[in-house]
Amino acid sequence: MGYLNNQIVTVDAILTTKGRELLARGDGSFNITQFALSDDEIDYTLYNPTNPSGSAFYGEAIQNMPLLEAFPDENQMLKYKLATLPRDTAKMPVLDIGLALIKLAQTAQTTIQPQTLNYLGNNTVVESSGYLFTISDVRQFSSVLGSGVDTTAATTLNSSTTNGTDVSKTVIGTSLTLVATGVNTLYGTVGTATSILYSLLTIVGRDSGARIQVPINIVKTS
Amino acid sequence: MAGAFQTLDPRDLLISNENVTNTVWLNNSPTLNAYFTSSVQVASTTGQFYYNIFAGSAATGSVQFAIAYCDADGSGSLAYNPNVVGLSPTRTNYGQYRSLVVGDEGNSFVFGNQSASYFYALPIERSGYKEELLPGTMTLCISGSLGSPVEHLFLTDDSRLGGAAQFTEAGRVYNLVSGSAGNVYTGVSENGWTASSGSYGWFMPDIGTLLLNGPALDGTYADGGIALGTLRTTNAAVNNPQKLFSRLNKGASGFTNAGWTLNSNEQLSSDFVFVRARSDEFNYSTNPSFISGSTGAVLFDSFINDPQVYITSVGLYNNNQELVAVAKLSRPLLKDFTKELLVRIKLDF
Repeated sequence: MGYLNNQIVTVDAILTTKGRELLARGDGSFNITQFALSDDEIDYTLYNPTNPSGSAFYGEAIQNMPLLEAFPDENQMLKYKLATLPRDTAKMPVLDIGLALIKLAQTAQTTIQPQTLNYLGNNTVVESSGYLFTISDVRQFSSVLGSGVDTTAATTLNSSTTNGTDVSKTVIGTSLTLVATGVNTLYGTVGTATSILYSLLTIVGRDSGARIQVPINIVKTS
Repeated sequence: MAGAFQTLDPRDLLISNENVTNTVWLNNSPTLNAYFTSSVQVASTTGQFYYNIFAGSAATGSVQFAIAYCDADGSGSLAYNPNVVGLSPTRTNYGQYRSLVVGDEGNSFVFGNQSASYFYALPIERSGYKEELLPGTMTLCISGSLGSPVEHLFLTDDSRLGGAAQFTEAGRVYNLVSGSAGNVYTGVSENGWTASSGSYGWFMPDIGTLLLNGPALDGTYADGGIALGTLRTTNAAVNNPQKLFSRLNKGASGFTNAGWTLNSNEQLSSDFVFVRARSDEFNYSTNPSFISGSTGAVLFDSFINDPQVYITSVGLYNNNQELVAVAKLSRPLLKDFTKELLVRIKLDF
């Protein structure tokens, strides 16, 4: 990791781990069709609307910030997306699933149904395009299924599999059904053996761009 | 319009190919000025077929090319079976290149206007030439003598003479001629060949290989040769690659155009993606520091009518909204309702 030279404006582009995986599949799934912008690394509390030097300097602490190079891990990039919203938006869309922690026993099943608050004048809404659900370690679940969105993309993601490694998995839907793994070997047997598997669920509104992360604990039962 | 994902217009996606030339040698030097062999490799089974040539000592250097002696009669090496005359590593080499370059077993190698039944093949390390050798850039010096005074033979390809390349089973073929960096020396013959043995061989850019015409190198100085002294003894290991290696080494350094200069050419395919953010797009942020609490209220009241956001990253997604590539700006760019953004992103493959 390193800093980018901020004396000139350049663009440092790389493929993500997911991008390389899709490229290797060779089935056309790499095809770039959309983009999003983000302000990762920006701390808006540095914005100073009372700067005595005037409005041109309100953002000086942000604009002079040296930025880090891009990370290849797709889960660490584009976390905080910029959203297109009507002018005069006073409240930003926020996701809510009613839980701060998802705790599951081995082989237990749960269903997550997120809602978006403050989106386009609605107090609470389920986004029509659904949500992107990303679990950080696919090995910890015997089933990860999105439902409620009937599109080719949703069907494709539900049926895609990557074998063997601790990669992430993303599905699309208005709800997510998770079934915790029953495999004991992931807990280890000696040394760092544990009775809980830790994972992370990231949910992104496909319309609003709002994002929430919720930790998942899978408790060993046998 | 609302949201965080924007569909790209097909006109914002562009695929471009550009030629990138580079040196062939893995030490990134334009000229190879020292040659080394590995005594271990030479003494091994593979040493009967070819000698690997290194840029430095075999322990620290990397293989740059190989020298393989190829003989239609199988001369110059021990037969696999003494009772089967003519089947030997040099015959295997010959058959391999005949199949690769001229295809049919009834065809022979015709260098210039003379056919030859033996030659030296110099296949170059693939990771060095990447995609193809670049015609018109080569100067290969082979010493005319191990003694003194020394005369040197400089070889190049005839791609700059204006004639189209011949095409074989191995793609384009140019004749190796006397000269340097594509400029032909016409002192012996008007097309840079030897006086009586045809051209000095073939330059085959598409398979990264040179074939050096054995009879041309064995010819006299007056004929344009270097009296290499190839031995074509039946069923005897006479180490012909060592003879060529010694002459290459003698011509490797110490004078103008010494060594082996050669460039590669690679077509680099790039995806260009033009990302546009209009004035009324991407002006609010889902960054947790952009809001003041769990209710989602923006951090400053001024952000309601005049939000100020700072773009640091561009994400490129597929139809399934999987993040396949990311581009990071070198400094935050201010975006508000009075500004538009156009970023050109280049992805190399």
